[in-house]
Amino acid sequence: MNRRVSRPAIVASIVRKDFTEFSRDLLYIFLSVLGLVLFAVTYYLVPDTVDETLTVGVHQTGLDELFDQLDASEADGLALVQYAGGDELAAAVHDGDVMVGLAFPEGFLEAATAGEQPTVTVYSDAAVPPEVTGAVQSMVREIAYALTGHGLPVTEPAEESIVLGIDRAGDQTSMRDLMLPMLVFFILMIETFALSSLIANEVLNRTVTAVLVTPARVSDFLTAKTIYGTLLTGGQAVLLLLVLQAFTLGNLGILLATVLLGAVMFTGIGMIAGSAGKDFFSTLFLTMAFVLPLMIPTFSVLFPGTAAGWVQAMPSYPIIDTLNEVLTYGAGWSDVVGSLGAALAWVTVIFVIGLLVLRRKVRSL
Amino acid sequence: MTEAAISVQGLRYSYGDLEAVKGISFDVAPGEILGFLGPNGAGKSTTIKMLTGQLPPSGGSATVLGYDVGTGSSQMQARIGVCFEEKNLYVTMSAKENLEFFASLYGIKNPDADGVLRRVGLADRATDRVKTFSKGMRQRMMISRAFINTPDVLFLDEPTDGLDPTTAAAIRTTIQEEADRGVAVLLTTHDMFEADQLSDRVAFINGGEIVALDTPENLKLAYGSRSVKVRLRDGDGVREENLPLDDGSASARLAELATSPALLTMHTEEATLEHIFIQLTGRGLAG
Repeated sequence: MNRRVSRPAIVASIVRKDFTEFSRDLLYIFLSVLGLVLFAVTYYLVPDTVDETLTVGVHQTGLDELFDQLDASEADGLALVQYAGGDELAAAVHDGDVMVGLAFPEGFLEAATAGEQPTVTVYSDAAVPPEVTGAVQSMVREIAYALTGHGLPVTEPAEESIVLGIDRAGDQTSMRDLMLPMLVFFILMIETFALSSLIANEVLNRTVTAVLVTPARVSDFLTAKTIYGTLLTGGQAVLLLLVLQAFTLGNLGILLATVLLGAVMFTGIGMIAGSAGKDFFSTLFLTMAFVLPLMIPTFSVLFPGTAAGWVQAMPSYPIIDTLNEVLTYGAGWSDVVGSLGAALAWVTVIFVIGLLVLRRKVRSL
Repeated sequence: MTEAAISVQGLRYSYGDLEAVKGISFDVAPGEILGFLGPNGAGKSTTIKMLTGQLPPSGGSATVLGYDVGTGSSQMQARIGVCFEEKNLYVTMSAKENLEFFASLYGIKNPDADGVLRRVGLADRATDRVKTFSKGMRQRMMISRAFINTPDVLFLDEPTDGLDPTTAAAIRTTIQEEADRGVAVLLTTHDMFEADQLSDRVAFINGGEIVALDTPENLKLAYGSRSVKVRLRDGDGVREENLPLDDGSASARLAELATSPALLTMHTEEATLEHIFIQLTGRGLAG
């Protein structure tokens, strides 16, 4: 009996079969749903505002007038909270009610004006950065000079502040916004495990051999795995972006292009790990060995300006950088064209390697 | 003269320096079952891989249904069915889903999966996932998958491996039915009884070469010897005698024993395919 079947129909059949197999694997279904829920919940739990006010607790006697003036004049960025006793102040710092506490001794004003050196106690929690404590200590010295009626021992230079890039004073990027590119990248990664596992099963159980004695060709098999991997990983990432309401009319095209590149890159990695895996655990281990190093650049997003040269040279960096620029800073096509180009180059290299490795494996069975 | 469904001429394949198949030649006619017998590593699987389009031949030529196997024709593969020795099924999918998937690769829109499963006795497990199947049921699934596209040529590698005698007999009947409707069958098996019962002709392959190819009957006549095994009461014990039939030297003794009160049993003996294989190659089929 002569039948004709088109190559797209064969590829579509294999893709449908792959999704059926995926839907029967409770482990990967669980991981996919867990990843989506966990990342969405994490995103919404992290604060979306940045508190730029430095709250300082103060215990003092006889300095009310001075601190009323300070409180009024430094309304932007500094908040003073008065405490009746040193112990109360220490407890407030410890509990995180205020960042730093200043306890002025009784008779501070008289001692300072008499040229003595009264001791001011500065309380700070262990988590407070040392530069904040240092700034508060400088503030204490300035207060002392102000109380004694003297000027500072040096002439203050004229200052002109020039902020390069976007001045984010009063509009700091929140931790929630900073996390978003990282979460999108992580969800792309998670589905790599499902893909590599599926490919390893096809190879180890030799089901691919049964497919290849039908009219299906190796190229059909590879095309189907590419489509399946890209839809699986990219689909999850798009779903997460939808849940987190990250798409706008302006960023839709760039985000979809970036997610597509990321999905194809992880599909290539899934092909390599799946071809080399000897069993479930070795496939899992290999996938992790490829994927975990690619996570490193995601942390540079959380701590801007920290990406070392070698981090920027990693294949995942241009994708994370593009996601970050678009999601966090609202960059457009012209801003990210360089990163997208670098991402495309890396993705091409990894995906072609994945295809060649899988093709060689399938042909050797 | 009917054109051969499988035609092989001087077929060769080498894995690097190792020549696995050394210029074999044979034909299989439509409706014929050719038993392909040989020990592990003899070149059977490599030959089947070449004939099913999985491996390009290193030399020689072969056609299946008139298509050159070297070009890996999709049209040829659309008309063959293959039952592998390893149970390479999608175990998380049901029996029916497996068959429907493979049918879709052949472009079959509404496959009769239930009918095919009924033929192998799995109709009542059609919607169960294959991972819940026993070894024998998986083997029957393998057979049903080879039948899903109503092939004109069947390549069956150990098709009754792991089956109980009743199921194995049913599968053999099914294979014979396929041959009766004109399907050419290349049957690889270690089961000499199966080869003898099913095969129209048998090819012995050893070290990449076909060392004998003929009907089981002719092979037995050519390489075996007829004899009669006689068991006799001997005092308190039992004694056996083997009497050759081919040279007539035992005629008198046979006549004498036929009327002897000591005679317990008398059986004709003929060479088995395994004996002939050992005689031809100096090694058994199991190895």
